[in-house]
Amino acid sequence: MVTHRIVSLFASLLAFAATLAHAQTDMGALTVKSRDGSRVEAPLLATDIDVTVSGPVARTRVTQQFINPTDKWVEATYTFPLSDGAAVDTLKMVAGNRVIIGEIKERAAARQIYEQARTEGRRASLVEQQRPNVFTTDVANVGPGDTVVVQIELQEAVRISDGEYALRVPLVVAPRYTPAPLRQEFSAADVQQGWSTGEQWTATPVLDPRLDPPANPVALRVHLNAGFPLAEVKSHHHAIAVQTIDDTARDITFTPNDVNGVVAADRDFELTWRARSGATPTVGLFRERVGDADYLLAMIVPPSGAAPGPRLPRETILVVDTSGSMGGESIEQARASLLIALDGLKAGDRFNIIRFSDDMSQLFAQPVAVDAQSIATAQRFVNGLQAYGGTEMIPALRAALRDPDANQSGIVRQIVFLTDGAISNEQQMFELIGNARGRSRIFMVGIGSAPNSHLMTRAAELGRGTFTHIGSTAQVQQRMSELFAKLESPVVTGLAAKIEGLAVEFSPNPLPDLYRGEPVLLFAKAPQLHGSLSIQGSSGAQPWSAVLPLDQVREGQGIAKLWARRRIDGIEASAILGNIAPDESDRQILALALEHHLVSRLSSLVAVDHTPVRPANQRLTRADIPLNLPAGWDFDKVFGNRGMRDAISNDDGDDPVLLAAASNSVLLPRTGTLSQLTKLLGLMLGMSGFALIHITQRQQARS
Amino acid sequence: MIPRRARSLFRLLGIALLAAGLACAAAGLWIPVKAVMAQHLLDRAFTASLNTGHVVKPWSWADTWPVARVSVPRLGISVVVLAGDSGQALAFGPGHVNGTARPGEPGTAVFAAHRDTHFDFLDQLNHGDVIEVQRTDGVIAHYTVQRTAVVRWDRSGIDPDEAGQHLVLATCWPLHATTPGDQRYLVVAQATPR
Repeated sequence: MVTHRIVSLFASLLAFAATLAHAQTDMGALTVKSRDGSRVEAPLLATDIDVTVSGPVARTRVTQQFINPTDKWVEATYTFPLSDGAAVDTLKMVAGNRVIIGEIKERAAARQIYEQARTEGRRASLVEQQRPNVFTTDVANVGPGDTVVVQIELQEAVRISDGEYALRVPLVVAPRYTPAPLRQEFSAADVQQGWSTGEQWTATPVLDPRLDPPANPVALRVHLNAGFPLAEVKSHHHAIAVQTIDDTARDITFTPNDVNGVVAADRDFELTWRARSGATPTVGLFRERVGDADYLLAMIVPPSGAAPGPRLPRETILVVDTSGSMGGESIEQARASLLIALDGLKAGDRFNIIRFSDDMSQLFAQPVAVDAQSIATAQRFVNGLQAYGGTEMIPALRAALRDPDANQSGIVRQIVFLTDGAISNEQQMFELIGNARGRSRIFMVGIGSAPNSHLMTRAAELGRGTFTHIGSTAQVQQRMSELFAKLESPVVTGLAAKIEGLAVEFSPNPLPDLYRGEPVLLFAKAPQLHGSLSIQGSSGAQPWSAVLPLDQVREGQGIAKLWARRRIDGIEASAILGNIAPDESDRQILALALEHHLVSRLSSLVAVDHTPVRPANQRLTRADIPLNLPAGWDFDKVFGNRGMRDAISNDDGDDPVLLAAASNSVLLPRTGTLSQLTKLLGLMLGMSGFALIHITQRQQARS
Repeated sequence: MIPRRARSLFRLLGIALLAAGLACAAAGLWIPVKAVMAQHLLDRAFTASLNTGHVVKPWSWADTWPVARVSVPRLGISVVVLAGDSGQALAFGPGHVNGTARPGEPGTAVFAAHRDTHFDFLDQLNHGDVIEVQRTDGVIAHYTVQRTAVVRWDRSGIDPDEAGQHLVLATCWPLHATTPGDQRYLVVAQATPR
């Protein structure tokens, strides 16, 4: 420990000199560092997204147009997000007047094919999964002034909550904090991909919104076929134009005043719609037959109005991320959400607040009873929260999961975790939840314009809770109130499903608890579906069951792919929990991905043109497409020293002033160290040791 | 008479205790050593900030940076204050408590530091003593000590928006205690009229 500190201080001396030297360089506009370290002009990219929603599933076509404005041959890499749970199954590349259809291959094989084509001067593109919701497209041999179009297609399920159907189209990948020490989630290839280069924020170049105009324009169209008469259709973060096709269908585009129906990729698109009152579907059963198997998608709607029994006292642990990535609007949303959460606590409950960045602190040493004084203290604490530093989520989660009274019954333990999830060690989080969740339920609240939905969804699933997304300050009140209504009581627990006479495996497995207003999507595969699907569980002390006759099933599209994607998630979860060996899970995932033509951690799509286009004597330059900073993020708080000057002068500017109300007095930090005590302890130990040696020596001398 | 076997056991135990004691003492001594060494780096960073007008981080991965230099001419003391009051910042120097005024501006500026390192001189400050605060932009503010107080950490009574220009130096109370506690010792100063 001590030597470690000496080394680190020595290192800091060296780094100090380096920092002074470094501070001189400045970043120009829209040039990026190529892989060999030199600076090159960035390739340009335009994206067109076309979504068709059919009932509970959405099919999305993403068209990426790579434009090379330079006079060199370029290889471009674009990192882009997709919804968590998206099943990517198609890649097309338009080169000249030919369309080349991509093939699914094992990851390493796909990369090899791509690299060979690149070397031979042929146009090629490769789509790889970097994380379950982050993908990259590589395009090789884009000639001077040339354009290459890459099109990918994917399938996803629509989210349903409180009768509200939601489609979220992520448009930007947030920079992520990689905690030290590094631990790799994926193969060593990731390291070369620039995901963990030892820098603490991931390495794709990110534009400072104050220096460069937003890049990467996106056009978007949604064809909504809800399958029921529609009431309002609403976009939460973008202005849209809605065209009514018929009672159940709408066409949605960005409004023309967003510069030609185009916006910059700096925040997620969120569209929600509701059924006209009285027209809310109660049963959702969809089937698709692919090959010699039936795939089933069932929507289980929790019973409304069922009395869940007496309300049990609760222990609520509120965990809030105050790292640098939460700077700007996000921390304000987090503060507002926490204050609403505090309002939702009732007498008889206990609570605590934990905040973390690269360190963590707890408001109270142990959870305390809800009373006027503890709530007032908590409100002061919340108002003083500020965003800075890294994102070390593990210690905070571990502290939140610590449950010394685990055997005490008659109390519900809930963890509400507010974060943007800008971390890259999700796997460690999942392992911790899987191993230490005990009786605690974990409710993830995703904050900001581009939260990491993979972390949120999976953590909530492993923690048997729910995932709530708050994308703007306007949503805080409604979404937090809904969450707290859910927290009051799971409506149905211990859910189990079966189809009489058929051995069927369901996904997810085990089934989650049913919360008020939050239907669960259930997938199954069988050779031939017949009979009825029966679902059982308990609602409070009462048993609850539902029977869905399978002859009412409707035909749906893309359900097989969704089933496969869900199975892959399930296998990953089993591997996290140690129920299945890593080799075996990899084998099963690869088999599923290849059979269903899906991009996964272990498989990629690759498309290669036959004819070489780049003359052998021309060099190829590599470049990453720079990304926008998610809207509402504060560049300085994420990337530090480039703009520290502004961070300070902002102190007396219009930044939110902490403890602004004159009635609040300043909270003083802890200012005692254990230095004296440690020295004293050392002295006492040393003296008793010395005395013992002395006595034994005298004894020896005498005998 | 202690049997031979037991004797060698005792001897081993003695050596182990001695080693543990030395390690403990070294760790205890390390806190003030780090505090002193960091101040040298901070002093350089502060001077660099003064000269360049830019914020200079003391080391590349630091999550804080110097914002001011506090000196007490009578005691010949000078320490560099860091932005923010996180535990890590406080290990290296006094912290400018988040949400309080900037020194030399209307309101109350609060600096906090460990009682056994950077603010071990607070008990020597008396009514009428002069405290100088130099900001990174070169502005120097002069304060005169008005009073001292002992408060609970969450009931400091400090109003960051108080009329006039004030400075509060805060550390842990009691000053020579060995374990951290809830009490804080405040030295309250007011801008010297010019």
